[in-house]
Amino acid sequence: MGNSGATDGAGPGLRKRDVPVYLDYQATTPTDPRVVQAMLPYFSEKFGNPHSREHFFGWEAEDAVEKARGEIASLIGATAREVIFTSGATESNNVALKGVARFYKDRKDHIVTCVTEHKCVLETARHLEHEGFRVTCLPVEATGLIDLDTLRDAITENTVMVSVMAVNNEIGVIQPIGEIGAMCRERGAFFHTDAAQAVGKIPLDVDAMHIDLMSISGHKIYGPMGIGALYVRRRPRVRLVALMDGGGQERGLRSGTLPTPLCVGLGEACAIAGREMGDEAERLAALRDRFYKGITGRLPRVHLNGDAERRIPGNLNLSFADVDSEGLMAGIKDLAVSSGSACTSASVEPSYVLRAIGLDDGLARGAIRVGFGRFTTEDDVDFAVDRIAGEVERLRRTGPLRETA
Amino acid sequence: MPTMTFIEPGGRRREVDAPQGVSVLEIAHSNAIDLEGACEGCMACSTCHVIVDPAWFVRLPESSEEEDDMLDLALGLTRTSRLGCQITITKELDGLVVTLPAATRDVR
Repeated sequence: MGNSGATDGAGPGLRKRDVPVYLDYQATTPTDPRVVQAMLPYFSEKFGNPHSREHFFGWEAEDAVEKARGEIASLIGATAREVIFTSGATESNNVALKGVARFYKDRKDHIVTCVTEHKCVLETARHLEHEGFRVTCLPVEATGLIDLDTLRDAITENTVMVSVMAVNNEIGVIQPIGEIGAMCRERGAFFHTDAAQAVGKIPLDVDAMHIDLMSISGHKIYGPMGIGALYVRRRPRVRLVALMDGGGQERGLRSGTLPTPLCVGLGEACAIAGREMGDEAERLAALRDRFYKGITGRLPRVHLNGDAERRIPGNLNLSFADVDSEGLMAGIKDLAVSSGSACTSASVEPSYVLRAIGLDDGLARGAIRVGFGRFTTEDDVDFAVDRIAGEVERLRRTGPLRETA
Repeated sequence: MPTMTFIEPGGRRREVDAPQGVSVLEIAHSNAIDLEGACEGCMACSTCHVIVDPAWFVRLPESSEEEDDMLDLALGLTRTSRLGCQITITKELDGLVVTLPAATRDVR
């Protein structure tokens, strides 16, 4: 399993190239080679349309899709019939929010979400606002976590849905999902959680946590890109207005032919996560701690963004005082890290998540997100510590902020 | 004898006799009301979809999971949608009001 040196960060089973060390596992994860193996037959010899009911090829594909659905369901404590396939978490979030809001709009018109949600939730909420729904966007504490009393006050009898992410994509903090679910159940509001960064990383149980809808992404859990899933509770039934019209596949909620190889890949990724999550979390926590100790051992004035305890093991978001992350990243091109969420990394605005947890502009501009994952090694971590600490030291001596200050 | 009212897609109200123990689907058929019921009440389709008046909806026994599954496939599903074959008249339902949807989908 070992991969040594700095130019080899892509992982075993993947072709070795002269590329940077990959430490951006919240942006995407490489598809696990075991997942690729499971998918391959469904591109070629087992090519059938899973919706073909009249012949062997269709049945073979359908069996594979249904097995995958079961594997996704069992990872989150659901039943297979409660899982529908989508193109990814963005679509799942769109279907969940728009679908539920529009179905129940004759009776309820209020949605509660949170300022640190992924753009696809915030933009969907904004779209619903234009349709006439009222949206409450909860603030977060300096830890990145929502305050349960603030949430309790925000829910009214007109609240159709509360949507709070399980794990934040930038700062890795874990929201108190079980408590939020219990509160929603008690108050008669549906609870949706965007669990793209949580599934396969932390244990989730839709019944114990009173989750009514959950968005899942394939490529964040070592499955393929272009596939995701949405959990929709059947009892008591959550109803949705579909976004697409068509053949009525996926219980009528998501028309369109299912991509069998992608479904199989997501299922296999979930099966692997279910078996290995515990050990992997331990291993990643050790790597994360090694990195953090290494960095803080060499550098003063390093700020950890987001709660120190309630976070997934594979993420650190760090700010370096007097250092601009753009400058830092320019100096560490042999590391693949992110200065914010990749979805907004085209913009030079500081991250809205870091702003929401109260970082001033300087610290927000000096933040980098480091993601550790299945194929990260100790050598990768040591190399990254050395490069980042070295570059921060250099910038603090000579950096543009110093020169222009 | 209890009665019930069907509101047709055009808005016309049809008040008819509703014998106890008989389903809304059967009542529609015996009164030549255009409610399809392609599977004749064995819960294999959603063509007897009716929209129950909200005031009456809360008085109906809860729908089964199988009925909910079929309703998932109904066109123009609403919060108070039910299958006509699954509503059996009791004396508490005397006066029941349901609306016929404008379209149905035969999924057989």
